[in-house]
Amino acid sequence: MRHIIRRITDKAFTILTGTSVVLLTFVLLIVLGPMVWRGAKAVLFKDTVEFRKMQLDLYNRGNPESLKIETAESESFRKTVYEIVDDFKHGIDTEELIDRTKQIYRQLGKELRYKKITDKEYQRIRLLARDLRDRLQAAFESNDEKIIKENIDYVLQYRLDENLADTAAVEFFTLAEDFLKAAENIDLNKRQQYAGSLQQVEELINRLLGPKPSDAVPALTMDRYGATRWDLAQKLLDQLLWSEQWIKQETGQPLVKIRVSRAEEFAGTKLEPLFGYVENNLNKMLKPEFTVYWQYFIDDSTAGHYFGGVGPEILGTLLLTLLAMLFVFPLGVISAAYLVECASDNIAIRIIRMCINTLAGVPSIVFGLFGLAFFVLFFIPLFGGPSEPCILAASLTLAVLTLPVMIRASEEAIRSVPQAYKEASLGLGASRFRTFVKVTFPVALPGILTGVILSLSRVAGETAPILFTGAIALGPVPKSLFDPTRTLSYGSYDIAVGDRLAMMVPHNQYGMVVTLVLVILCLNAIAIILRARVFRKLRGH
Amino acid sequence: MQKEKDNMPTSALGKKANIDQIKSVVSLGDKASPAIKDTNLDCKCAVIKSENFSFYYGLKVGVKNITMEIYPCSVTAIIGPSGCGKSTFLRSINRINDLIPHTRVEGNLLVNGHNVYDKNTNLVNLRQQVGMVFQKPNPFPKSIFENAAYGPRLQGVKNRSQLQQVVENSLKAAALWDEVKDDLKKSALALSGGQQQRLCIARALATRPNIILMDEPCSALDPIATGKIEDLIDKLQNDYTIVIVTHNMQQAARVSARTAFFCLGELIEYDSTAKIFRNPGKKQTEDYVTGRFG
Repeated sequence: MRHIIRRITDKAFTILTGTSVVLLTFVLLIVLGPMVWRGAKAVLFKDTVEFRKMQLDLYNRGNPESLKIETAESESFRKTVYEIVDDFKHGIDTEELIDRTKQIYRQLGKELRYKKITDKEYQRIRLLARDLRDRLQAAFESNDEKIIKENIDYVLQYRLDENLADTAAVEFFTLAEDFLKAAENIDLNKRQQYAGSLQQVEELINRLLGPKPSDAVPALTMDRYGATRWDLAQKLLDQLLWSEQWIKQETGQPLVKIRVSRAEEFAGTKLEPLFGYVENNLNKMLKPEFTVYWQYFIDDSTAGHYFGGVGPEILGTLLLTLLAMLFVFPLGVISAAYLVECASDNIAIRIIRMCINTLAGVPSIVFGLFGLAFFVLFFIPLFGGPSEPCILAASLTLAVLTLPVMIRASEEAIRSVPQAYKEASLGLGASRFRTFVKVTFPVALPGILTGVILSLSRVAGETAPILFTGAIALGPVPKSLFDPTRTLSYGSYDIAVGDRLAMMVPHNQYGMVVTLVLVILCLNAIAIILRARVFRKLRGH
Repeated sequence: MQKEKDNMPTSALGKKANIDQIKSVVSLGDKASPAIKDTNLDCKCAVIKSENFSFYYGLKVGVKNITMEIYPCSVTAIIGPSGCGKSTFLRSINRINDLIPHTRVEGNLLVNGHNVYDKNTNLVNLRQQVGMVFQKPNPFPKSIFENAAYGPRLQGVKNRSQLQQVVENSLKAAALWDEVKDDLKKSALALSGGQQQRLCIARALATRPNIILMDEPCSALDPIATGKIEDLIDKLQNDYTIVIVTHNMQQAARVSARTAFFCLGELIEYDSTAKIFRNPGKKQTEDYVTGRFG
């Protein structure tokens, strides 16, 4: 009976531990899986012709010849889009029409000056033209069909006036006729609404296809190219085809969001065919292609991480981490050696030990503020350095942050070295220092490397300590230790808090986070391999 | 000798009694002349003398009022029940007990006339003269060569061929050379327990000590390995003063010339091995060696 109970408890124990491991794996997959999946999209994705243009312009990659052909092809499909929009705008945009009449009036004045006519005649034509201009403007601005008709008719009665023939004023009549036709087609009351929606449509087309070839090159790099990624293009297309509106369904209830087809919104206008056309021809306009953008890990990025990769971020993270390790490794090992080998067990040492343990639990932002107050404002200027956030200050802060972890791990490692080794070495006449260097340290090294691994992971991922001491979101690649640097951790934070940035570059945000995980993984792998080698050497196999 | 005298700290020079001690090989501040000298092998003068020596772990008594003289070029065994202080006494001779905090000594413990617990004692030189072999084989996790060369390297021998010579000699002296001469680069941890223990003896011999302390050197070994170690001890006693702590009374009877019986931190009896085992002077000793006690 007792035997059976023992077997059952043993089995239960096995099952329990096994389940917990499975659960852990599951949780890990749930946490990491989606993140890695989204992060992978920073490297593996469908690019568009805009992406290839950007790569050629910014990084000088790709074949200019074939790109030129591709661009020409896509332009031929885009032309229709621009034509439709222009055509529609003609009849609808009040301000543009009024501007046009003003231009015509001014041009007429210039033309009249070179004509051989009498002053009296000049005055008459001038007055007439001004009258026509004002009438047209009144028509354009009005929503009342009656007033429009009245004014247009008034203008059109001068169509055959021979004084106006062959002058710029002829265009007045074309404008008037066009507008009359447009006014018959569309609901004039909706004009305001159209104008607002049209602006959105134009902006979306701009973001989808890039600026019009005829327009000037925009000042910001991010405005120079359309959708560089196919997934982004699809998102923009959706926004183009459907507009979101908030409507009131019941009083006292919150507004409800509904999706309205823009084609319906513009039904019966010249803009209506645009949506179908863009939907059907987006492929041809953007030419998506599957790409492996491995340069993501070395490329610099444009302002705001809109294009490009995370090269400087990786560099900065590695620099900070390794530099911090460089400071913390000797300091940690020496401190631990003192605590284990030299310090006697008195009150002072106990207090020091307690301080170290407490320090390990202090929030990292406290270290960040300490770094700002001590390293940036006091310590580095003390030696003539600049009193600014820089790599040196950040890595020193990180070193202080992880020192307790390092000391604890090294202490354990050194303490666990068999006393027999120390006795043997001392018994052979070695000094305590020599015993430590030649025997204790090599034997403790695997354990100390475990401390290094723990510290590495902590340091590489920390954001708060470098917030004020050396990290920047955007800026040049550092040239010396006295420059601030970009880092993966701070970069992720910056994208997340930048109000609309995370929405525009989700691939970049996840990409950065996944890269950070990868960098930590690589650093750990190196340390683990190193540890295994040291261990094997010690075992002598 | 003149040279050693120059190296003496001035404070020690002031003491008359110390003049004789300068002659001893346990010299102070003697770093200029490495201990690898043939003269150091002259063990005739290596004598351990204990005068009312007591050792305390805090308040607990380790050994109390030990007065005995250990003769050179012979094997002296220390026997006694567990916790009787025999290891404590042995480990006091080269002051390896210093590793334990809160200890205190009383009385004198002289090696070649020099009090090892004098505050001027150069521990490095003392331990080079008084080698030690521990209960469990404890070779360093290094190669066999590095293990044997550890002591000479400490003494400043850098020359490769010289090192090789020392390593070979000490391995031969420890009867290990024939077994490992082909793979000196192999890790010492790959050796068997008996080989490891002989390597530890070789490592101790490589520093050219006068005295070798053995703290139950065979307790972790099988009988065959034990036999080899005992043969080795027998061979080494011509050149070294050997003090061996053992639980195994047959072993004490086999290898030693003189035997000391410790009990509860005190020296009960110290005489020739034959007398201790056949005709002990004290009842306690008789009880112990005949197995009636403990």
